[in-house]
Amino acid sequence: MGFDQFVADRLDRLLRYATAITCDKHLAQDIVQNVLMRAQSKWERIGAMDAPYLYVKRMVTNDYLSWRHRKAAREIAVERAELARHVPSMADPADAHVEREAMRARIAVLPRKQRAALVLRFYEDCGDAEIAQVLGCTESTVRSQLSRALQTLRAHELARSTTLGVHS
Amino acid sequence: MNDLIRQAIAAEAEERADAGTVLAGLRERRKSRKPFGLIVGVATLTVAAAAAAVIVPTTLRKTDAAPAGPPPAGPQNVLLIGTDDHDNTDALVLARFGGDGSVSAVSLPRDIQVGDGKLNSLFRQDPRRLTAEVERLTSVRVDHYAAVRMAEFGRISELVGGVDVCLHAATEDPLTGASFPAGRQTLSGEHALAFLRQRMGLHQGDLDRVRRHQAFLIGLAARISKDNALALAAEVGKSVRVDEGWDVLAFAQRFQGPVEIRTATLPVGDPVDTTSGQGLSADPAQARQFVEKQFGGEGSTQTGCVA
Repeated sequence: MGFDQFVADRLDRLLRYATAITCDKHLAQDIVQNVLMRAQSKWERIGAMDAPYLYVKRMVTNDYLSWRHRKAAREIAVERAELARHVPSMADPADAHVEREAMRARIAVLPRKQRAALVLRFYEDCGDAEIAQVLGCTESTVRSQLSRALQTLRAHELARSTTLGVHS
Repeated sequence: MNDLIRQAIAAEAEERADAGTVLAGLRERRKSRKPFGLIVGVATLTVAAAAAAVIVPTTLRKTDAAPAGPPPAGPQNVLLIGTDDHDNTDALVLARFGGDGSVSAVSLPRDIQVGDGKLNSLFRQDPRRLTAEVERLTSVRVDHYAAVRMAEFGRISELVGGVDVCLHAATEDPLTGASFPAGRQTLSGEHALAFLRQRMGLHQGDLDRVRRHQAFLIGLAARISKDNALALAAEVGKSVRVDEGWDVLAFAQRFQGPVEIRTATLPVGDPVDTTSGQGLSADPAQARQFVEKQFGGEGSTQTGCVA
């Protein structure tokens, strides 16, 4: 597959993926652009692979997880945490939209790697092995990242329904 | 809860930037710049100077045109600029060449913020703008500059019979397909380029890469001899550009023996947003102090093993 064809086919999906793991569309756009520039110069190799998309996704993920974006990620997390604090008090538990936004805010404050694992599982529908490939870690690390993420989200969910239960 | 997670992530992903806009931006950047992230101009340039150092006295002696005992010159500050094929700056080194042939070099990260842009775009606009900004940042007078295309590097390392470097641990670069074992090794050609280019798989990214460049530079300088100097000077000379009015031959006479280079990297602050993407902040007062110390004789002449 040629580079231009790859971009035409996959750009939107890559942007969605990058936005989901970064929780910031501007950062996501920067990362995807930079990665595609780099990918282009190596396209002879990447294009000949069995799964170019997987490889490019890995580049995007690595770039986000690298030290360069640590600060940006922290700022986004702080911002989202602030938002998340206000959501439960306004929440009507029957409102699916509010529920979803609350979950979004909680996902946004997870550690970066946990969130990446979560997105790969629940958005990209990857198995443990594929996630391990993208994250560059072992499958058992993938499982522990996922279970820690789910544990955190579940704890919040419990606390929230309890609070809402008491007040209603 | 899993469904809720799916919905939440999908909602987040939905916020993505418009693909058409990104595509247009990508085309624009493809036109304006090749993604050649090699940051090694440093080495080539110093090698150029060092090669000239070895070769010029030899040539002069041969032709009997050597001026009798040229006066030992004072230190000169030279800005060494490594560029890609479009004159974007990929590497920037401020070096003081002592009268005795010693060299103190400070790597300046190319993403340092100046005005509302970054250092790396100034050379293409006007070399004088770049030297002026460097002077403002470091309070060091830039006597001359020399610029070189970094793509020359593979051949240069071959000409000297390879460059010795040492790695703490084995690494692999999925992008270039290069893989290096741990420990001492001699690199040349494509392997040398891959070593200098690798950023993926290095924990500190660009910072590790700058250290690699310094290690490479020191290894390269150690390989220069009278035997390879002629070929080296010819090779490097093809792509080096210097400011008008710099008598490079006179300059090169300060080098009499093997060149010893001390290297260091200018400390930078937090990332800041600029009109051309994320830049790095640098405090002029700190920069001045750091460069002063380095030029005063601090800094390392060997980097040992690198990541």
